[in-house]
Amino acid sequence: MISFESVCLRHQGKDIFNNLDLTILEKENVLIQGKSGIGKTTLFKLLLGFGTADSGSILFNGYKIGKTHINEIREQIFYLSQDIDLRHESVGNLLDEILKVNLIQHNNSNKIEKILNFLELDIKLLEQNIKDLSGGERQRVGLLIGFLLDRPVWLLDEPTSALDDAMKRKVSKFILGQDKTIVIISHDDVWKQHKEIKIKRLR
Amino acid sequence: MGAQDLSILSLASLLIFLIPVIYINRRLKLAINQTLITSIVRMCVQLGFVGIYLEFLFKFNSPVLNTVYLLMMISIACHSIIRSCNLKFKLFFVPVFFSLLIPFTVILFFFNAVVVRIDNLFEAKYLIPIGGMLLGNSLRSIIIGLSNFYSGIQKDEKVYLYSISLFNNRIHALKPYFLQSFSAAIAPIIASMATIGLVSLPGMMTGQILGGSIPLVAIKYQIAIMLSIFYTEYFSTILAIVFSLKVGFNELDVLNQDIFIPKK
Repeated sequence: MISFESVCLRHQGKDIFNNLDLTILEKENVLIQGKSGIGKTTLFKLLLGFGTADSGSILFNGYKIGKTHINEIREQIFYLSQDIDLRHESVGNLLDEILKVNLIQHNNSNKIEKILNFLELDIKLLEQNIKDLSGGERQRVGLLIGFLLDRPVWLLDEPTSALDDAMKRKVSKFILGQDKTIVIISHDDVWKQHKEIKIKRLR
Repeated sequence: MGAQDLSILSLASLLIFLIPVIYINRRLKLAINQTLITSIVRMCVQLGFVGIYLEFLFKFNSPVLNTVYLLMMISIACHSIIRSCNLKFKLFFVPVFFSLLIPFTVILFFFNAVVVRIDNLFEAKYLIPIGGMLLGNSLRSIIIGLSNFYSGIQKDEKVYLYSISLFNNRIHALKPYFLQSFSAAIAPIIASMATIGLVSLPGMMTGQILGGSIPLVAIKYQIAIMLSIFYTEYFSTILAIVFSLKVGFNELDVLNQDIFIPKK
C-alpha cells in the first residue's frame, strides 16, 4: 500500500532521512515512534506530495508520488495535521464546502449529528468560527471531517494530544475499529494498548 | 485655445516651499530629505524626457512608433510591478506582461474606436495619454493583487496545504487567497469612483479644462476614462494571478519558495 525505499532527504544541511525503508500494508494499523525532530511529520508530507525526497522512491498503491497520480493519491488519504490547520471560517461552512468539493451527498446531516454526539460536541459548534475553538474542539472537528470524508487511508499526526483520557480511549478504539489503513504519530500511550496496532520506530 | 505656458523660472519658483519642508524634516529628524530630493529630480528628468519624446511621437504620429512606445511602457510597468512584489523578474515577466497587454489593448482600442470614434486608432494624441493612464492604474492594482496573493499563501502555507489535502482541488484551496487579494486590489478604484467629484477634481479633468475643453466635455471624458481604468484593472489583476500560477506553484500544487527575492 505504502512503501518508502531507500529514501534520502536533507534539509538545511541536516540529514532527515538516510536510506529510509518503510512498508505499510493495506488495512494495517501502524504507530510510528521516534524522538522529536526525526522526521515523523515529514514522512506524511512526502506521501501527500507537499515535499519531495532527494533520492529513493515512495510508492502509494503502486503509484509514484508525482504529477500524474497525485490527485488519485490525495483522494485516498485523510490527513490530520498536528495543528489542525483549518481555515478560519465557521465550522458549518467549512464542512459544507469540503463535502461539496469532494462530491459527497449532503443529505447526511443525520450523520453529522451522530458523529458530533459521539465526539461529545454540541450542534451549536457548527456556527462557531474555527479560530474560536479550543484545541480539543479543533482536534475533534478534524476527526469529524475525517469520518465524513471516509477516505481509505488515514495519516494522523498527534490526533489525541488535546483530548481527555476518556475521550482518547473512546476515539482511538473507534478509529482503529474502522476497516482502513491507519498510520499514527503519537506520544499517547493509549494507542499502544490496542493489540491490532503495529509499532514502527524511526531512527 | 490652450493653457498659458509656464516659464522654466516660474515653474522653478514652486521649489521655494521645499525650504521649510527640508528644514522641518531636519528638525524632526525625519530621514526622508535624501529620498525626497531624489524623487523630485527623477520626476523632473523623467517628465522632461517624456516631453521631448511625446513632441517627437506627436510629430511623426506613426502607428509603429506609437506601438513600440506602448510596448516599452508595458515592459517598464512589468519591471516595476515585479520588483514591488519582491518576486523574481525572470519568472514573472511573461505572465505579467500578457496580463497587462491583453485587457489594455482591448480596452484602449475600444475606447478609441467605439467611445471617442477617432479615425486613426493609432492617433498618438489619444493612444499615448489614455494608454498611460490605464497602465499606471493597473500597475497599482496588480502590485496589490499579486503581492497579497503570494505573501498571503506564503504566510499561511500550512493552512493552504491542509486545504489541498482536504479538498484535493487546487482552485478551492486557492480561492480564499485569491478573493482576499483581488478585492484589496480593486477596492481603491471602486472607492474613488464613489467619491470622485466630491473630494477631488481628477487630474485629467483639471488638465483638460486648463487645456481649453468645456467642463461638460471634460466630465464625459472623465467618466469614460474611469470606467476604462476600472475594467483594465479588474481584468489585468485577475489575469496576473491566473497566468502566474504556473510559475508560482510546482506540479504538485505546492508554493515555489524560490519565486521570492530573498530578504537581506
